[in-house]
Amino acid sequence: MTMSAHDTKVYVTDVEERLVHWILAASCLFCVLTGVGLMFHSWSIIPTLLGGYYATKLMHIYSGVVFAGMLVYSYYLWRKDCGFEESDLDWVLKAGGYLWPVKELPPVYKYNAGQKAFFWCLIVTGVVIVVTGLFMWLWNPASVPNVLARIMYMLHAGAVVVLAAFIMIHIYLGTAGNPGTVSAMITGYVTKAWCKTHCPRWYQEKFEKDAQA
Amino acid sequence: MAEYIKLIDVTKCTGCRGCQVACKQWNSLPAEKTIFSGSLQNPKDLTYNTWTLIRYDEVVKDGKLHWVMRHDACMHCDWPACAKACPSPGALVKTPEGAVVHNPQYCIGCKACIAACPFDIPRNNPELEKMAKCTLCYDRITEGKQPACVTACPTGCLTFGLKEDMLEKAHKRAEAVGGTIYPSNPKYETHVMYILPAGVSPKDLQHTNPNPSMPLSVLLWKNLFKPFTLIGMGAVIGGAFLHYLIKGPHEVHETKEGGE
Repeated sequence: MTMSAHDTKVYVTDVEERLVHWILAASCLFCVLTGVGLMFHSWSIIPTLLGGYYATKLMHIYSGVVFAGMLVYSYYLWRKDCGFEESDLDWVLKAGGYLWPVKELPPVYKYNAGQKAFFWCLIVTGVVIVVTGLFMWLWNPASVPNVLARIMYMLHAGAVVVLAAFIMIHIYLGTAGNPGTVSAMITGYVTKAWCKTHCPRWYQEKFEKDAQA
Repeated sequence: MAEYIKLIDVTKCTGCRGCQVACKQWNSLPAEKTIFSGSLQNPKDLTYNTWTLIRYDEVVKDGKLHWVMRHDACMHCDWPACAKACPSPGALVKTPEGAVVHNPQYCIGCKACIAACPFDIPRNNPELEKMAKCTLCYDRITEGKQPACVTACPTGCLTFGLKEDMLEKAHKRAEAVGGTIYPSNPKYETHVMYILPAGVSPKDLQHTNPNPSMPLSVLLWKNLFKPFTLIGMGAVIGGAFLHYLIKGPHEVHETKEGGE
């Protein structure tokens, strides 16, 4: 008997999750691109290609508004799946098996501790970036002391250092570092073997119980 | 290129506000409707269209009343925080003469300079999305002329000249009147200096910064977070590449398929 795609793959990410992920990712990366273009005079090629510094500022702001909306959406979408549990500590202490040989990792439910940490890092730094960004966009110098305002500009850039670095880890582990993963965010499907390896507890509960029923 | 300083001898100011008018005239800045606030200070603060004004302070020290009139405008810092914070090349420029000049053509209205300035000088026009401030009349001083305010000053309170000459003059005058020089921090040079009357310190006056410095938040932002945005991303990408080479990707063994 030949196996069809339906037999070998499982549907793990619905279309809502995939859309939110990619709108969030696109707006975030566009903000990083325009932000770097505004911060580094040596990267003036970015504002030049985008139609000048004023246009780049506007695009940075409006892309940031999209990012803010999707950040809130993400919070409601993934906060439950990303709640920490006791076994996450063990996972962290073993660095998820990514750095040195590990005999056995605690069986993961839907997301491992690293993914959860990334999610909460995104939420915390994202909120800082959005709040300070809204301030920088809308503050009225006539009513806000500039001693306070300059802290906002600093925090905006500071939170980006953390988030931008973590995003690079996220991209690597979601693509080249874990072959077979990226399809979860494109088609929504992964192989059964992938799902059993990466989310054994979730796989068991979601697919094996269904099969038995 | 020679550096210049505008010296403001507060002891000689009579509060005529000729400098305010001359600034408006030379820079084509429109008059503003103002509200009488009980002080001779009018308008109350610097605005997008008022780049200098006389501030009035009544200081009582040791039972003695000092009526202090102070010409307030951009201090033209040697290491300007506004220009350091500015994202748009050419919008805020430190010139060899010492003036910090804004170019509205390149200003994108981000207000970063307003946040960064240790003296709270730049002002915003929310409709135009542009900032504005005193330019030390850069268009005049490069033609060998004095700034407009200095030209108008009838008492010799405002003088303008070569940095060395003005520093010498400032110290002599401060000694003669028993006053102090503001800003007094030799590590924080500005191209505008004040001689304050005897018994009056910058702390007694409105809108001064007794200890001006490049704000720490601007330093953290531009000298630490800015480079580390790229260093952080680059380090992770490099680390990921090494991880891929040394440890290799985490392959899923398809044997698990179909149950074990």
